[in-house]
Amino acid sequence: MIPTGIYFDTYAGEASLLKTARARVWTALLVLGLIAAPFASGAYLLGVATQMFIILIAVYGLHVTVGMAGQINIAQSAFVGIGALTTARFGEYGLPFWAAIPLAALVTGAVSVVFALPAARVKGFYLALTTLAAQALFPIVILGLPETWLGGLVGIPVEPLTVGGYVLSTPKQLYYFTLCLVLVATYAAFNLHRSRFGRALKAVRDNDVAAEVMGINVLSYKIQAFFVGSLFAGVAGACMAWVLQFVTVESFTLFASVWYLGMLIVGGIYSPIGAILGVLFITVVQEGLHEFGAAILNSGTHEAGGTIFAATNVALGACILLALIFEPRGLAHRWRVLKTVFQLWPFPHR
Amino acid sequence: MTMAGSSHAPVLEANALRLRFGAVEVLKDVSISVAPGAIHAIIGPNGAGKSSLLNCLSGFYRPQAGSVTFDGRDITGLRPHLRAAAGIARTFQGIQTYPSMTARENILTGFHNRMRTGMFDALVYWGRTRAEEEAFAAEAEAIIEFLELEELRHAVVGDLSYGLRKRVDLGRAIALNPKILIMDEPMAGMNPEEKGDLARFILDIRDAKKIPVVLVEHDMEVVMDISDTVTVIDFGEVIAVGAPAEVRANEAVIAAYLGAG
Repeated sequence: MIPTGIYFDTYAGEASLLKTARARVWTALLVLGLIAAPFASGAYLLGVATQMFIILIAVYGLHVTVGMAGQINIAQSAFVGIGALTTARFGEYGLPFWAAIPLAALVTGAVSVVFALPAARVKGFYLALTTLAAQALFPIVILGLPETWLGGLVGIPVEPLTVGGYVLSTPKQLYYFTLCLVLVATYAAFNLHRSRFGRALKAVRDNDVAAEVMGINVLSYKIQAFFVGSLFAGVAGACMAWVLQFVTVESFTLFASVWYLGMLIVGGIYSPIGAILGVLFITVVQEGLHEFGAAILNSGTHEAGGTIFAATNVALGACILLALIFEPRGLAHRWRVLKTVFQLWPFPHR
Repeated sequence: MTMAGSSHAPVLEANALRLRFGAVEVLKDVSISVAPGAIHAIIGPNGAGKSSLLNCLSGFYRPQAGSVTFDGRDITGLRPHLRAAAGIARTFQGIQTYPSMTARENILTGFHNRMRTGMFDALVYWGRTRAEEEAFAAEAEAIIEFLELEELRHAVVGDLSYGLRKRVDLGRAIALNPKILIMDEPMAGMNPEEKGDLARFILDIRDAKKIPVVLVEHDMEVVMDISDTVTVIDFGEVIAVGAPAEVRANEAVIAAYLGAG
C-alpha cells in the first residue's frame, strides 16, 4: 500500500521499486549508513557483516527457487560451494574478478540444471529428496576426484582478490567489495518480481496446471528457477572464496543449506525483504548469543564452556520458534503490517 | 440468431476422438466442428464426457484415436503450452487463477507468449524489460477496462470473491489474444447477476473481439440464450448437433436428460 496523494502518470513510475520520496530517502540513508559503518566498527563486526552479505546473496537465490517458483531446494550450500571451487580453480590462471564472478555464477547454474532436470519432474517431498541428494553427492564427488582437480580433502588456496591492480585483503576492503555485490544482487532480486520471467515463476508456484494451459512451459521454468537461484549461489560462492582465501568441502555442508532455508522461512519466503530480514534476524541473534555466552564465560562462573555453548544454541532455536509462532508468514509480513500502520496513523482505517 | 461466418472453414475441429481410461470408455467417436465467430455450447448429463472432450482440445488428455485440427493444422500431439501459443485460450471449472498475484499481474501472465524478455533481461530490468512491461501494462489496462475491473487492478486475486476471480480468469484468457476461447462451466456457482454479466462478456468477446467460444455449461437458460450451435453428448457419444431451438426439440436429447421413456 502506498500513502494517499501519491499517484503515477506512467506505468514505469508505478513499477518503480522505490515509489515515494520517503522510501528513496530511507534507502539512501541505509546505503550511506552501510558505507559509513566501517569507520565506526571493529574488524570482527565487519567480518560478521561481510559474512552476512554473502549469505544474503545465497538466500536471495533460494528466494527465487523456493519462494517465487515454489521448488524446494536443500542444496543451496553445495551450489555456493561449486561457485567457490570454480573461483578458486580459475583464480590460479589469473582470471580477473569481473570475469570470475560471472563464470562462477554460470558454472554453478549449469551444474544446478543437471540436478534440476530430474527435479523438475517431481514435486514436494520427492523434490526435497532429489535436492538433498545433490547436497549429499557434493562432498562425495569432490573427495572422489583426484586432489589436483578440485582440492579433494585438502582444499584449494585462493589467489587474493585484485581489483584494478589493488589487492583486497583487509576486512574493510572485503566489506566494501561484498557490499557492492549485495547491492547489485538486491536490485536484481527485486527486478525479478516486476518482469515476465518472475510472473511465470510465480504462476508455476501458484497453479502449475493453469500456467501450462496459459502457455507457460512449466518444465522449462522449473529448471530456470533452479538456474537463476544458482546464479546467486555462484556469486555468493565467489565472494566466500575470496573472503576465506581457502576453499574446502567442509565449508559447504547440509547444515548450512538448512540454515539458509531457515533464514528464508523466518524472514518470509515470498519477497526479497524476507530474505534480508531473515538473514539479519538470525545473524544478529546468533552473534548476540555468542557475545552473551562469552561474557558469561569471562565473568568466572563455574559452568563449563560446553554447557554455555549448548545453551546458546537452545536459545537460538527458541528465538526461531518464537518468530515462527508469532509470525508464521515471516518477518516480511510483520514489516508490511508495520509500514501500513505507520502510513495510516492516526486513522485506523483507509 | 444466425451463425456468423458459417460459410468459412471451421476454426477448431475434433474428428472421431476416442478416449479411454482403463476399461472406461469416456469418448467413443466424438466429432465437433467450431465455426468462426460462433458460440458453440457442449452440453450433456453428468459424466457424459464434456470435460474430457475439452481436455482433449486443450491438450491435457491425449486421445487414443482421432485427431484435433486447429486453424488448418493437426495439433493432436501438441503439448498444452504450445497450444496456448498457437492461439487456444481456456478458462477453467472452479477457481484456477494465481491467488498471490494482483488482478493485473494475472492478466499480464496471459501475455506470456507474446512477450519476449527472458531471465537475464529480468535480472537487469532497465531497458528492454522496462519498455516491454510498459507496453503490455497498457494492453492489460485495455482488458481491465473491458471487464470492468478498474478498481481491482492492484487487488490480490486470492482476496477477491468467486465471481470476480472468474472474471480475472477470463481476462487472463483474453490476454492470450486467442483465435478461440474454450470455457469450462463458466457460470457454475455464480449468482444470477454475475451470470448476466458473464453472458454479456461472452457475447462481447464474440462480437467485438471476433473470437469464437466453445462453452461447456449446465445452465440451460444461458446455453439456449447465447449459443449459436449446441452439441449434445451422452455416454461419450454425440447425440445431437444444431441450433438451440432444434436441439431443445430433439427426441434423443429429451430422452438423455429425462430418462428414456
